[in-house]
Amino acid sequence: MNPSSLPPVPRRSAGCLWLWGLLAAPLLLLVVLAAGVASCFHLGSDARALRNGLIKSSGVEWRQQIALNAGRLTLGAVRAGLSCVKLDPGARAALQSVRNAGVGVYQLPSGTPPPDRAAMLAAADTAMTARGWERVVGVIDGQDLVTVYMPGKDVSSHRVKCCVTVFDGSEMVLVSAQANLEPLVEYALNQPGLRAQARRLAQR
Amino acid sequence: MQTMIRYPLAIAVLVAGVGFNVLADPPPGQVDFGKIAPVPGGEFVEIQIRSNLLSLAAQVVEKQDPDAARLLRSVQLVHVNVVGLTDENRTEMEKRVRQIRHDLDAQGWEHNVVVQEKDGQDVGIYTKTRGGEALAGLAITVIEPKNEVVLVNIVGDIRPEQVAALGEKLDIKPLKDIGAALKDAAPKK
Repeated sequence: MNPSSLPPVPRRSAGCLWLWGLLAAPLLLLVVLAAGVASCFHLGSDARALRNGLIKSSGVEWRQQIALNAGRLTLGAVRAGLSCVKLDPGARAALQSVRNAGVGVYQLPSGTPPPDRAAMLAAADTAMTARGWERVVGVIDGQDLVTVYMPGKDVSSHRVKCCVTVFDGSEMVLVSAQANLEPLVEYALNQPGLRAQARRLAQR
Repeated sequence: MQTMIRYPLAIAVLVAGVGFNVLADPPPGQVDFGKIAPVPGGEFVEIQIRSNLLSLAAQVVEKQDPDAARLLRSVQLVHVNVVGLTDENRTEMEKRVRQIRHDLDAQGWEHNVVVQEKDGQDVGIYTKTRGGEALAGLAITVIEPKNEVVLVNIVGDIRPEQVAALGEKLDIKPLKDIGAALKDAAPKK
């Protein structure tokens, strides 16, 4: 077959492509922006799994008060924005440490009997163990339930992740964070009198 | 032909690996307290700090306190259970603690300290030695009949003099006391 006999392939002119690009770019930017803004109101996947486990096991409806999440991009922008501002060194160290943070606050409707905290703890364990997390702390005392989970592997001072839940019988606060502890630790260790304070605490 | 040999071999290695993993013995100083579930209305505290977190803590204090970092690195696990006693679980928990003590005795742990107070408080401290110089594990069981049961297990390669020295250095009395008790408990060379 003679290649010259093939029908000519229609080619868009470069100008047309540029036009499409110009039209698509703001749309794409809007989508990315919308996704970024939406992600600020959704917890990370691990925190969501923990929350879902806890809520499901309680067997009651919870009201979400707030759910906020700040990822690398948001926190990076905040860090950059505040780099010229005079900040307390402690606050700056904390800001430099946090890489990702999310917080969710959930409330039981008034009059709802407090759910079984033992069942909540068991459900939280199941949800987090399946994702490779380990419970470091679990406390049930009266109406309160406190849990702290950390990943079972890959923990280093450069990259610490944790999920903390505190439930007081009516309100549940869930915090998830990823941080590089080094700036914070350096700041803490440079504090005069820290050693004496730690000693006093240890002697209690 | 090669494939026919390779696949069964790979499967055999995989199965053996999984088997070894499943059957891998826990460290000699580790005590299985069994599944302890909280009961309604009862206090419950469980803290499990494994070697990954302990080495993180060691990394953090390394520059400031190398002794403390060394001690933290020598510990593999710290497990603390506090279970509040209610009418529902009192008998079961007391029975379980007695069983744990019985098992520790049977497994060759040394029963170092027994304190039985008039109010019924019953404390047992057990140690498992490693190579004549260090402790592979420390287990503490406390029954406070009116309130709670406390179970503590520390696993690692714990050198009593390290604990005592750290206690002296930081002037932390409980650490000094534990260090002294461990020194007494450690086998004499």
